[in-house]
Amino acid sequence: MENRVVDILEFAERGEGVPDGSSYRVRIDGKAFTIHTSDPTGESLLKEVGKRPCAFELIEEFIDGRNDVVEPEERVDLRKKGLKGFLTAHKEIVPISINDKPYRIERGDRTVAEILGKVGETAEGYVLLEEKSGPPMPMPPDRRLKIEGCEVFHTQPQSGGSS
Amino acid sequence: MEYPVEQIEELKRYCSAVRGLGEGNAVYLYLEALRLPAGCEPSECNALLRPFAGADGYPSQLYFSVQIRAPYGKNWNVLNARICEKNWFAFSWKASAAPRSPLEALLNHLAALTQPR
Repeated sequence: MENRVVDILEFAERGEGVPDGSSYRVRIDGKAFTIHTSDPTGESLLKEVGKRPCAFELIEEFIDGRNDVVEPEERVDLRKKGLKGFLTAHKEIVPISINDKPYRIERGDRTVAEILGKVGETAEGYVLLEEKSGPPMPMPPDRRLKIEGCEVFHTQPQSGGSS
Repeated sequence: MEYPVEQIEELKRYCSAVRGLGEGNAVYLYLEALRLPAGCEPSECNALLRPFAGADGYPSQLYFSVQIRAPYGKNWNVLNARICEKNWFAFSWKASAAPRSPLEALLNHLAALTQPR
C-alpha cells in the first residue's frame, strides 16, 4: 500500500467516500492528529487530546450537522462518509473512586462531607484522603474539591485528638 | 529494631528518602522532604516518625523540622526537642491506639494536621 495520509475533512467537504490510507488526518476539537488505523477506539482518540473517558465524552461530528456520542470501547470507522472530525465535552455526572469502589457524582465543586456521604461516612468520624499526583493525602474537612471525573479518594477513621 | 522493607517502601511515597536513626535502643524513621497535606505551609519539611510508644505516653509521634502553619491552629507543645542529634517540633495530639504500621502512624499524624480538633 502506498504511504498515503488521508484527510477525512477534505473528503467530507467534497461529499466523497474516504479511500483507504496508511493513516488518517483527523481533527479533534479543531486540532489535527494523524491516526494510523481506520478504526480507532473512542478512548484512543480521547487520549490523543490528553483526555480520559471518565471525565470526557467523544462526539462524532458530521458535515450535515449530525453529532453522535462514541463510547470509549466503541470502534469508529474513519472512512464513514460525511464524518468530518470529533469534539470532546465534559461529562456532567462523572465517576470517582472511594476506597477502591466506583461512585458517580455531579461534576463541579464538592465538599469533603458530600464525598464522605457517598460511602455513608461523616467528617466527625472519618478523614478523607485524596490521591492526586502522589500518595493519598488527608484533606481538611472544610475544603471544597473540584471534581472533574477520575478522582481517587480513600477514607480512614479519625483516630485521636488534641492531648 | 528493624522495620520490614515493605513498610519502608510505603513511606517512600510520601518523602524523598527514609532512613532509620538510632536513639538509645529505639530506631526512629527520618523522613526527608515529607509532603504535607493541602493547606499546610510549608508544603514539605523533614520529619522524624516514632511509630511506637514513647516516654511521653503517646502511642506514636511525628516530629517536624519546623512549626507548620496548618489549616487549623495547633498547640505546638514540643519545641526544639533534641532527638537523634537534631531539633524537632510537634503539636499536641494523641492517637487513640497503637499504629499497626509506620504508614498508619504517619497518616494519623498528617490527618491530625488537617483536622479542627
